[in-house]
Amino acid sequence: MSSIKTYGVYLPQFTIEDNVLHPKGGSKKHTVGYVDEDIITLAYASACNLQSEVDAVLFATSTPIFKGRYHASYLADMMSLKEGILALDLGTTDRSGTDALVLADALVQAGKCQNVLVVASNISYPPIGSELKTPFGHGAVSMIISTEPGLAAITGTASYSSAVAEEFIYKGDKVKYDARFAVGVGFKENIKRVLGTFDSGSIDNLIVNSTYSKFASGTLKKLGFKAEGQLMQDTLAPQIGYLGAAHGLFRLIDMIENRTGNSALLDYANGSNVISLDVRETSNEILGKALQSKAEINSYQDYLTIRKQGKFNRNGYEHATVFSSEMMQEREKEQLIGLKGFECSGCGTIIYMKAARCSHCKEEEFHTRQLATKGKIFTKTSEHYFPASFPPTNMIVVDLDGGGRITVQQTDDMYQNEEASLNIGDKVELTLRMMMENDAKPNYFWKCRPIKN
Amino acid sequence: LKKEKDIAIIGIGVTPFGELFDQSYDDLVRDAALQAIGDAGIAMDDIQAGWLSTAFPEIGVYKGRSGMDLAEPLNLYGIPVTRVSNFCASGADAIRNAANALKAGECDVAIALGVEKLRDRSPQDGIVKMMVELTHPFYQKGFTAAGTFAVYANRIMHEYDVTREDIANISVKNHYHGTLNDKAHYRIACSLDQVLDSPMVADPLTVLDSCPTTDGAACVIMVRSEDVDPTRHQPVYLRGIGLSISTGWDLPFFNPRHDFLSFKATQNAAKTAYEQAGITKPMDEIDLVELHDCFSIVELLTYEDLGLCKKGEAKDLITGSATRLGGETPVNVSGGLLSCGHPVGATGVRMVVEVANHLRGNAGERQVKGAKTGLTHNIGGPGAIASVIVLSNEN
Repeated sequence: MSSIKTYGVYLPQFTIEDNVLHPKGGSKKHTVGYVDEDIITLAYASACNLQSEVDAVLFATSTPIFKGRYHASYLADMMSLKEGILALDLGTTDRSGTDALVLADALVQAGKCQNVLVVASNISYPPIGSELKTPFGHGAVSMIISTEPGLAAITGTASYSSAVAEEFIYKGDKVKYDARFAVGVGFKENIKRVLGTFDSGSIDNLIVNSTYSKFASGTLKKLGFKAEGQLMQDTLAPQIGYLGAAHGLFRLIDMIENRTGNSALLDYANGSNVISLDVRETSNEILGKALQSKAEINSYQDYLTIRKQGKFNRNGYEHATVFSSEMMQEREKEQLIGLKGFECSGCGTIIYMKAARCSHCKEEEFHTRQLATKGKIFTKTSEHYFPASFPPTNMIVVDLDGGGRITVQQTDDMYQNEEASLNIGDKVELTLRMMMENDAKPNYFWKCRPIKN
Repeated sequence: LKKEKDIAIIGIGVTPFGELFDQSYDDLVRDAALQAIGDAGIAMDDIQAGWLSTAFPEIGVYKGRSGMDLAEPLNLYGIPVTRVSNFCASGADAIRNAANALKAGECDVAIALGVEKLRDRSPQDGIVKMMVELTHPFYQKGFTAAGTFAVYANRIMHEYDVTREDIANISVKNHYHGTLNDKAHYRIACSLDQVLDSPMVADPLTVLDSCPTTDGAACVIMVRSEDVDPTRHQPVYLRGIGLSISTGWDLPFFNPRHDFLSFKATQNAAKTAYEQAGITKPMDEIDLVELHDCFSIVELLTYEDLGLCKKGEAKDLITGSATRLGGETPVNVSGGLLSCGHPVGATGVRMVVEVANHLRGNAGERQVKGAKTGLTHNIGGPGAIASVIVLSNEN
C-alpha cells in the first residue's frame, strides 16, 4: 500500500481572462507564468517545501524546455537531493503527470523506493489568435508517493493503452484524425474499457480528466455513473485554465481537498491512467489557498510582452547576451541556489560572500549556515535603465530572518501598483526565478516578492 | 607618517569635457599632455616616468589597457609607463603613484594623465551595458551605477531628516556652478523642480541627479619640490594623499552590518590625507573642495565622511549656502561631475587641475577668492575605493 504523503502546488501570480484575450471571450481565466518563470522554476516552487528524504524524482511535462537533458536531474540538483537518485522525465502527452504517479506507485509497491517525488509542471501557450480555442494555463504540482501513510491512501493504479490518438504531432506537424472515428474508437472505447472494470456503485467520487471529457457523458451514463454528486466537474479549469501534464494531478488534489470516500481519477490522453484513492479527511487547503488572490493581466499587449519574454529595446539599449558561466554555477551552487551563508565563529555575523576573515571582527573561522528565504527590506531602489520586459527593475536589499543579507530583484511586479509596491521594513520572500528572461542558457537565482498577509 | 609636502605639480592640462565625437582617445591624450607639458615649460623628453589612468578600456577600442596607450599618442618611448585602474579613483591613484616614484627617486619628472573615451558608444552601450551583461550573472544583477547609490538615498531619507529636495538641491547648486565653467559638459542651470521632474533613473535619483557619459582627459606634470623653478613654475604642492579600499564590489549589498549611510573608504582616505597635511578642522582649513558627485546623493553623504560637518548635519550645508561659490567652503565650483561629466579615468586628475587653477588664482569667473588649500575626492566602485588629495599653494 502506498500513499500520497504530502503535496505542494504552485500557480503563477498572474491570470488572464478570456475577455482580455478576445472581445468575445468570457470570464474564464488562465494562469500565466511571469517573464522569469519556466517549468523548472514552477516545479521548484511547488516542490521546495516538501519535507522528505526522497529516493526518486519523476518529472512530467508536455512542454519541455530541455531536449537531451533531464528536467528531473536538474530539479534534483537544485533541491540538493541525494546523489545517485533515480531521476526520470515523462512527457509524451498531457497524461504524463499521472504516468509519473502510476510509476511512482509501482516503485513504492515493489519496494524499490520509500518516497518518490512526482512533479508535473507545464507552461503552454496557444498559437497567437487561437487563445479562445486552445485550453491553456501554467502551473506545477508535486507529490510525495510514500510507503508511509499520508493525506490519501492509494488503493489502486492502472494504465490502459490505446492505439488510437485523436490529435498528435507526426514528423513535426500536427495530425488530427477524423473526429468521430478518433473520439469514438479512441477516447470513448478506452474509457468504457477502463470504467467497466469498476462497480460504479463502489466509487464515491469520479474524475474524468481529458480534453475530450465533454464527449464522455453518454458512456458514463451507460456505465451507471451519476453526473450529480458522483462525477466531479472540473471547477479548476475556469479559474486557472488547463494545465496540461499537471492538470490531472491538480484535479486529484482538488478531490483530496474537497471530497472524502472512495475516489478515482481517470486521466485520458491516448490511453488512460486510473488512480483510486481512499480519502479520509479533507483538512488540507494547499490548493485552495493557491487559487486565491491572483493578479489579473489587464491588456492583451501585456500578455504579448510576457510571451515574448525580453526582446528589450528601451532607452536605446537592445539586450544582447548576458555573461553566465556553467562552471561557476556548478562550483557555487550550494551558495547560489542552496542559499548557504557563512557564520563567523567570532561575532556571529552571517555573510553571504566567502572571505578569508570576518569583515567585522577579523575572525578566520566560519561555519556554513543555511539562510532563510524570508526577510525584511533594509533599502531599495527601482532601476529604470536596466533592460527588462516590464521596467523598472526593483532592486531590494533584504535582511534575511535569522541573519544574513542578500540583494535581489523583485519579481511579479509587472504592474508597479500598490500591491507590488515595497518599502523599507516590508516583509518579502525569496523565490527562484530565471535571472535573464531571454538568456541562452539556464540561469536561475533568487528574486523576491511581497509576503501577503 | 611621511608628509607629502615635498611633491609639487608644475604643469596642468585639461581638455574640454563633453561628447567629443571629433576626438579620439589619442587626441584627448595629446591635448591634455601637451597643455601640461607646455604649462610646466619642459620638453617632452624631460619626462622620466608616466602613469596612465583609464578605468574602462573595454568601452571603445580597448585603449588604456596598459601604459603603452599613453606612450603611443605622444611617441614617448623608452621610459616606464604604468596603467592605473582603480575605478573612479584611478586618476587620483595615478597621481599617488607618480608622487611615490618621485619620492623614491625613480624619476625626477613624472606625468600622470587620466583619460576616458566613453562616447564612441551610446551611453546605454557603455557602463550600463557592462553592468547588465558582463558582471557576475547574479550578484547585484539589476543594478546600474545609479541604483547602487540610490539605495543610500532611500536609506538616509528613512533614517534621518533628509528629504528628496535636499538631495536634489546638490544638483541645483552644481549645475549653477557648471554655467561658470567653459570646459564643462553641461553649462545649463536647473531648478529644483527640473531635477525632481526629469526622467527617473534609479528611484529617487533622476537624470539631473546623475552625471552624464562624457569624454575627456586631464594631465599633471609633477616634480619634487626642490626642483621647482620659481621663475618658470606656478607650483601647487601635494600635502596629503589618502587612498583606501574599505569594502568590495559586492560586499556592501551582502553584508548585514553595512548601514548605507556613509562611505568608510572616504573616511579612511580623508584620515590619511588629513594626517599628512596636518588638517584637524577641514571646514576651517580647506578653502574649496572638488568631490565625487557622480550622483547628487554622494555629495550629501561625502560632506559627513570628509568631516565638513557632523553626522546627520549634511542637510544643513546644502540648505544654507556654505558649499556654494562665495560660501564658507565652496564644493564643486567646477560644476562637479554632474556638470563636467565623468570620463572616469580622467575625473580625479581633472579635479586636481581645477583646484590647482584656484590655488594659482587662475580660475576666472568661478575663482574661490584667496584659496590657499583645496581638496579633491573620488569614490569608486559601489563606495568601495576612495581617494582624498589635499593641495596647497604653499609648501
